[in-house]
Amino acid sequence: MTRRGFISAAGLIASASYLEQRKRKVDPPTGPPGNSAVTILRAQSYSEDLGARIYEGLRTSGLDVRGKRVLLKPNLVEFDSATVINTDAAVLAGALEAFERMGAAEVRIGEGPGHRRDTFDLATEAQYSTRVPRFLDRFVDLNRDDVSAVRGFANEAEFYFPNTALAADLIVSVAKMKTHHWAGVTLSMKNLFGLVPGAVYGWPKNKLHYIGIQDSIVALNRQFRNTFAIVDGIVGMEGNGPIQGTPKHAGVLVMGQDLIAVDATCCRIMGVNPLHVEYLTMAASLGHVGVDRIEQRGETVETVKTPWQMSPGFLG
Amino acid sequence: MQSVCETYFESRLEFLLRTQNSDGGWGYFPGRLSWLEPTVYAMLALQGRSDAQRSLARAWPLVDSLQLSDGSWRPSPQVKTGTWVTSLALLLCLLRNPSDVRCRKAVHWLVRVAGAESSLAMRMASFCHLLASDVNVEFKAWPWMAGNSSWIEPTAHALMALKRVAHHPGGDVASRIREGEAMLLSRRDRDGGWNAGNPRIYKVDLPGYPETTALAMLALQGVSIPGGLVDQARLWLRDSKSSLASAWLIIALRCYGADEPQPTGPAPSSDVLLAALQALGHPRGNHRVFRPGSPA
Repeated sequence: MTRRGFISAAGLIASASYLEQRKRKVDPPTGPPGNSAVTILRAQSYSEDLGARIYEGLRTSGLDVRGKRVLLKPNLVEFDSATVINTDAAVLAGALEAFERMGAAEVRIGEGPGHRRDTFDLATEAQYSTRVPRFLDRFVDLNRDDVSAVRGFANEAEFYFPNTALAADLIVSVAKMKTHHWAGVTLSMKNLFGLVPGAVYGWPKNKLHYIGIQDSIVALNRQFRNTFAIVDGIVGMEGNGPIQGTPKHAGVLVMGQDLIAVDATCCRIMGVNPLHVEYLTMAASLGHVGVDRIEQRGETVETVKTPWQMSPGFLG
Repeated sequence: MQSVCETYFESRLEFLLRTQNSDGGWGYFPGRLSWLEPTVYAMLALQGRSDAQRSLARAWPLVDSLQLSDGSWRPSPQVKTGTWVTSLALLLCLLRNPSDVRCRKAVHWLVRVAGAESSLAMRMASFCHLLASDVNVEFKAWPWMAGNSSWIEPTAHALMALKRVAHHPGGDVASRIREGEAMLLSRRDRDGGWNAGNPRIYKVDLPGYPETTALAMLALQGVSIPGGLVDQARLWLRDSKSSLASAWLIIALRCYGADEPQPTGPAPSSDVLLAALQALGHPRGNHRVFRPGSPA
């Protein structure tokens, strides 16, 4: 038997055993006291009045942002306006409009892309600078923002975050609904990777990979508790996400203050068992995964869910 | 009356002079705290200018203050750890005084730091086909931070600096240069460029990025590259949507002796790093600092 044959055989045996264990019923983690509200709104296209839809969603979610400094954090990845990699400009513009209408004292926009350094031109390519009012006045390249140290993040003695993120009263993860070749899915929680400054940690932010992708997702959401999620699932990405996949129309916006519950709901919409998404079970103490602890507002999962093709290697 | 070309050059240098902070450094954007990366590029761009001597003299104490006792440089006064910016600071210091003890300490640090993927454990994992990415982990190259994996950009910057001290006694520098070059060649994408450092994931070929392709070109000067690079770089420049990538590609093409038309346009309103790179890439700019062995 060749080395490759032996290793393949051993891998098959190990995988079969692992799959068998994964299929066993897993009790959902209990999470913190109380329940979490997640709002699902239908939005069939980016040409709809998304400002009004998101405003409706914010009110349905019970969010109060009067007098607060809000940071909108979209998912900006690649120079490719023809695909669905980035949070759509219409969703970002709609979120801006909605938060201003809700009485926020200040609404800024910030992102720290993980692979490409030219954040401003990325935003231009994604049409943010033309379709989001006063975009350049509001926008902060979080990769090159001034930073401050926090203690105890992911068991690190010190870890650096952008001052703009640390100073915000509310960080809104304006994420894209996508599959992910490492994490399974990338939704509102993983979107917080963009809060890690490349000027310190590089492009990509390899430090997070060594902490562990799943652990990093949880640590970021433990660090930043002043958050809200808006997931752009109007047209998401399935297959070999988060970059090489294909467009998937789901026709939804999913929102809530509990990012774990929002991501769990998105998983159900995508036909994925959230208990098979490792970071969600790891984050159980931070929010709610189980349907019995999530108060679904707006549409129900059953009326909007649609099967997604997952990334190769994801066993969920 | 200045030509448009000269206006492009002078406006960027004037912008750099005007945006220097009171501590002598430059922030990534005007009015922001000083960081080593924009400071180094601003200093490289202003070197040799008679009207910049006072600015440069003010900047050196900040640069000096950011070097740690292990020879590495911190990216900013707010960050306690030395990182990949050590290569940038080393390049700057070598141009000032190659015999400076600061240079020797930085070289020592760079020779000792290597990407974690070249560790024994990772090599075994690669041998057993346990890594999702099929990069060649044999070659020691450079990470963004010690303890992490190697990537194209920090490796390119390390090579550009170390090639100026390739004669360093001991042979360590020469062998690290050879391995770094081998790493870059092994990570080249199918389209002939380089991305951050993963040419393929789950058997899917990934595209190159123009900015990292330019940096790899600069680091591989003097190395015979199958298929050449200049014509390809010109295509990348033609199609680039990134101002930063275009600036690096122009610098790389000039270092390869290609006579590129000079872009025109107003000075960037807020991006210090970009302004410095654009000034460096001008025909009268100090792009030669990126050619091994060339003075500023």
